[in-house]
Amino acid sequence: MNKGKIVSIHSFRGGTGKSNTTANLAAQAALAGKRVGVVDTDIQSPGIHVLFGLDETKMGKTINDFLHGKATIREIGFPIGENTGGAEGRAKLAGKNLWLFPSSIRGREISQIIKEGVDFNRLNEGLQTTISEFDLDYLFIDTHPGLNEETLLSIATSDILLIILRPDNQDLQGTSVTIDIARSLDVPNLMLMVNKALPKYDFAQIKTDIEEKFHASVAGVLPLTFDLADNASNDLFSLRYPDHEWSKALRGVAEAILAVK
Amino acid sequence: MSQDIQNYLKKTSLFKSLSDDMLNALAQNTTTRKLAPGDVLMRKGEIADSLFIINEGWVKIVTEDKKGDELIINKCGPGEIIGEMALLDSGPRSATVIAIENSEALELKQEAFQDLLDKNPNVSLSIIRSYSNRLRFSTKYIERAIDWSQKIAEGDYSFIDQTQQISKNAETDDDKATQLLSAFFTMVRRVKEREDGLKQQLEQLTFEIDQSRRKQEFEEITSTEFYAKLKEQAKNLRDKRAQQ
Ligand SMILES: Nc1ncnc2c1ncn2[C@@H]1O[C@H](COP(=O)(O)OP(=O)(O)OP(=O)(O)O)[C@@H](O)[C@H]1O
Ligand SMILES: [Mg+2]
Repeated sequence: MNKGKIVSIHSFRGGTGKSNTTANLAAQAALAGKRVGVVDTDIQSPGIHVLFGLDETKMGKTINDFLHGKATIREIGFPIGENTGGAEGRAKLAGKNLWLFPSSIRGREISQIIKEGVDFNRLNEGLQTTISEFDLDYLFIDTHPGLNEETLLSIATSDILLIILRPDNQDLQGTSVTIDIARSLDVPNLMLMVNKALPKYDFAQIKTDIEEKFHASVAGVLPLTFDLADNASNDLFSLRYPDHEWSKALRGVAEAILAVK
Repeated sequence: MSQDIQNYLKKTSLFKSLSDDMLNALAQNTTTRKLAPGDVLMRKGEIADSLFIINEGWVKIVTEDKKGDELIINKCGPGEIIGEMALLDSGPRSATVIAIENSEALELKQEAFQDLLDKNPNVSLSIIRSYSNRLRFSTKYIERAIDWSQKIAEGDYSFIDQTQQISKNAETDDDKATQLLSAFFTMVRRVKEREDGLKQQLEQLTFEIDQSRRKQEFEEITSTEFYAKLKEQAKNLRDKRAQQ
């Protein structure tokens, strides 16, 4: 039996901050002493692996290889705690239990997987094997924007779904549909996180208004900040600048996730 | 001359309660020290053998910060007494005193001071009394300042209105505790203004969701075969996990 939780991070639109949020949440959980895995679903474009200081060339086999029986899950997990590199923030993860699992379940490959019969059950099995092999407390999945089939699979298997949105009507509209889907798929824990909120707005009001609209909890409202956009070294921002407002709010979200029974 | 000195002594908080005779005796025992700007009246750490009463001009009381830079603790002018603490507790000078401008200080040697205390038990008493008054004053305001600081931390600024009086008095009352408090309240008022300003600037957002579009999009996604199968599989999975 697995006790590890699958946490999916999703957003209706792209560029909302999923990859940054996922990497930082995973890092915070690892710092708190948890055993954590991160599934990177997008090794082709600069995403989560970059924040952990890796590039595509360093990563060998992917979850797809595992799903096709070409690799064991042990071969796929990349131990971040043993490869923190030079960056100041990441260095704090030295010796922590954090693994990155590259995968490329997207575009053409998803249809291939479905054709080959790698369906929900197999994907779920793969994730559960990952959790049990590495004895994980949390497995974070950085999903793709929108509600394509691959994302629906990921939502359906989640114990916790964190939806990130920007505080504007377009995102609220899209998020409303995702919330309805998550409820239809019986996701047991649903949370929202607002990112890129302009500091001139009343964050408390944003939180209460959105909670009221969706009857779901907003675990944090994170500011739009050039400091993060400017994170030239691609370090883990909340580890590098723990006293920054963005980092403080992010830790609040991490706490909300860790508090789920 | 001695009469002038006597008058000065009478203005000081420490000696103001002394009788004219005592003041006269004291005045006889003082010597005048003239200081040019930058002259050092006493140096931190030196063994103390006299106290000074500023007669004319201004001096600064300084210490050094960690980097060795001069840090001005206070400024003293006519009528103020410096260095009496060290005479009473036999400790070394606690700070350095430097003249800011052409100044004059009356020096009272330890023996004369001691003599005065020995011969006039009343003087000791009045000194003790003036010290306890000062102490009580300081303690009272320290307590209040602690209380107010806690209120500020909680975002409660309501006490500012009750403190106007004190700030105004600081113009005439030369007690440093009062001046410190005055500066403190000026600061609090500025903080509050800034905070109010920030609060006002916060803009409110209004959110709208088109419910019919929401329903339509939900139906589009959930009406596929893929979704129907997924929903069933997900339900099985949840049931299985719940049993575990
Ligand atoms: N709060 C923020 N303030 C400013 N910039 C931010 C903030 N959050 C994220 N960004 C920036 O926005 C960009 C997109 O962030 P990120 O890659 O994490 O989003 P994403 O949702 O994973 O994007 P994609 O959909 O492309 O995968 C990055 O350049 C990131 O630095
Ligand atoms: Mg991304």
